[in-house]
Amino acid sequence: MEIPQLHPDAAAGVQAYRAKKELLAPLGLPPELPPDWREKALCKFKELLQQRRSLSLYMDICVRCGACTDKCPFFLGTGDPKNMPVARAELMRKVYRHHFTAAGGVSGRWAAGEELTDTVLKEWFTYFYQCSECRRCAVFCPFGVDTAEITMAAREIMASIGVAPKYVTEVIKKAHETGNNIGIPEAAWIDSCQFLEEELKAQTGLDIKIPVNQAGAEVLLVPPSADVFVNTDTMMGYARFFYAAGISWTTSTYASEAANFGMFLNYDQLKKVNLRMLDAARQLGVKRLVMGECGHAWRAAQAFMDTLNGPLDFLAPPCPEHICELAARYIRTGRLKLNKSANDGLTVTYHDPCNLARAGGLLEEPREILRAVVNDFREMPANTIREKTFCCGAGAGLLTDELMPTRMNGAKPRMEAFRTTGATHLAVPCAICKAQFPVAFKHHKIEAQVVGVMDLLGRALVL
Amino acid sequence: MTVGLLFISCVAMSTLFLSMALYVAMAIFLGGMGWRIYRWIRTPVPLKIVLTPGPQKFPGVLRRLVGELFGFRALAKADRSLWTPAWLFHVSLLLLFLGHLGGLVIPHLAQTTLGLNEKQFEDMAQVVGSAVGLLAITMLVWLLIRRLLLPRVRWISTFSDYFALVLLLLIIATGNAMRFMGGLNIIQAQRFVAGWWTLHPVAPPRDPIFAVHLLLVCALLIYIPFSKMVHIGGAALFSPTLNQRNNPRQQRYVNTWEKNNGNSTASS
Ligand code: HEM
Ligand code: SF4
Ligand code: SF4
Repeated sequence: MEIPQLHPDAAAGVQAYRAKKELLAPLGLPPELPPDWREKALCKFKELLQQRRSLSLYMDICVRCGACTDKCPFFLGTGDPKNMPVARAELMRKVYRHHFTAAGGVSGRWAAGEELTDTVLKEWFTYFYQCSECRRCAVFCPFGVDTAEITMAAREIMASIGVAPKYVTEVIKKAHETGNNIGIPEAAWIDSCQFLEEELKAQTGLDIKIPVNQAGAEVLLVPPSADVFVNTDTMMGYARFFYAAGISWTTSTYASEAANFGMFLNYDQLKKVNLRMLDAARQLGVKRLVMGECGHAWRAAQAFMDTLNGPLDFLAPPCPEHICELAARYIRTGRLKLNKSANDGLTVTYHDPCNLARAGGLLEEPREILRAVVNDFREMPANTIREKTFCCGAGAGLLTDELMPTRMNGAKPRMEAFRTTGATHLAVPCAICKAQFPVAFKHHKIEAQVVGVMDLLGRALVL
Repeated sequence: MTVGLLFISCVAMSTLFLSMALYVAMAIFLGGMGWRIYRWIRTPVPLKIVLTPGPQKFPGVLRRLVGELFGFRALAKADRSLWTPAWLFHVSLLLLFLGHLGGLVIPHLAQTTLGLNEKQFEDMAQVVGSAVGLLAITMLVWLLIRRLLLPRVRWISTFSDYFALVLLLLIIATGNAMRFMGGLNIIQAQRFVAGWWTLHPVAPPRDPIFAVHLLLVCALLIYIPFSKMVHIGGAALFSPTLNQRNNPRQQRYVNTWEKNNGNSTASS
């Protein structure tokens, strides 16, 4: 897509709502900005520099070559120079140079350092919540400088002084209280699953179950909770698949959420939110843990879970497994009967969620499934898919109304790539993308629909 | 006034001053780089953050790192008009470094390996050295112009970015100037380097440009560990997004700073 001119401060006014006391305190964060917040923040900064090589190395080695400047969807959409990955990182790097390097101390202004002030903090809160931690910039950097790591560190520092978004903290609080991000109680979960079973009966005439809390099942499936209430075709897709594959499975009301918003706040919460799934797996005595269609949940589980909450040796490998991996494995070994023509009339293209492609290594399986169940499947342009995929524009805690201008601008590169395909359906295995794209389609005046990969598989399964 | 200048240049070219400056600069460079690299290595990497799809086994990681280090592969994906000058500049820098090593630091190394006589070698060094120097200068100018003209890159540039480019330009320009003006006595330069190297400093070649060249190199050596130029330590090698194996499910990855790791804290 066309690279925009620089529009300084174009996105400066787009800010997340700040969390107040009642959301901060339950997560163990200071209920308000402490009077000595600068010292506290710098102390946390120092601690993170010592704990994370990604941070300390990436503070040091960027050569400001600019290779990443036109790679961020939020820059491409807004033209705000502070949304260029290197400029975003410099917001933190200038503080690093001032407070933590010899050059910053010696030569002040010449070393481009800056003291941590109110203004800088405000800038951090604005621009580190306009980064979706999508890692696209890192793919093009000669040193693999990953701005997502810098964003995560900045958010962790801000959280440590009670500066956090309302949306993210609210979701985490709900996850702790109810087991899912929407705050749905157990009874409603059971109701919904029953309702979907009836729906499946009406569609197929078969008794396809969506089991809840079934001890001794082989597989615990943890979907994003949105699949049960919003993206119900995806949920029914899972059910159809397990039915056809003859695998005994269950959902859990204790861990009724795959998504891990802890990753968008701090290490502590990342770890805590993940843990629920393993507790549920243990309680129910399942043998395998399978993750539903959710992007960053996959990163938190696949890349981090064994480290944070492991060892996972009480579950069978591969642990965790992605539903697309499992389904692709069954397709590959010829254990499913498929009728591709069930999806005729749809022209489908595939959106790689950032966290599946660049942080979870899941690029082939969804495509394998789509090729097996859709006759008209086509790819978007090569520089917008796979490891070069564009974020939907709403990842990492941006999926909230007050950030709408940035979300819609951030979706622009993806929308333009989609337009070139002439597809009618955008298949995407991620609940955040599924919530973002319909709004983005409308905003960018595109007539198309969003579907899950498992929806399309479900339709093509001969049961 | 003139006397003063003369005096300063005499001091500057004197055996002691140039040699000492180079000792100090080299010590700061080695100590500084050692410290920076030690700090990178010492800092733990708590989680698997490798960029995927990534290699699962070590040979694949090696291929990835070599590709970045010697081919600037990510840069090639990002922007050809940056890759070209950046890669050619680094290659010419590497050649200049090897040239200094084979022609000055270890006299006769290049000459004997190539099987040339003294005269042939000097002619070759003259031609190849100047050509590579010119290549480096051209690429540096290209990078500088790019930095000034591309609004995005200009926006992110700091004093340090221009300083590094200009300093290098001056170093290579003075290097080439010695050749073009024909003033440099290679044998004297070799003796100076050999003396410095074996801690028995001898007089440097009586050429003011040589002194300037050498002092600028000292400035660069001191500057490197304290600026973005630390990347010459092979930064990509230490970068977890590039140097990790993509195998979190095959082999448990342990966070070394988290003591009570594990699932004992089960809530509920
Ligand atoms: C890991 C491999 C390396 C990569 C990927 C790399 C990449 C880069 C890049 C992208 C630039 C910026 C060019 C610009 O836009 O100004 C640069 C500059 C530079 N690099 Fe490297 N480099 C590497 C290793 C080295 C090494 C080993 C040296 C040692 C001599 C070196 C010396 C320089 C110098 C002198 C500059 C120019 C000054 C500047 O612009 O800051 N680099 N490098
Ligand atoms: S590509 Fe990497 S080195 Fe270049 S400006 Fe961006 S972060 Fe810095
Ligand atoms: S991680 Fe993604 S959103 Fe964040 S700066 Fe990089 S490209 Fe932009």
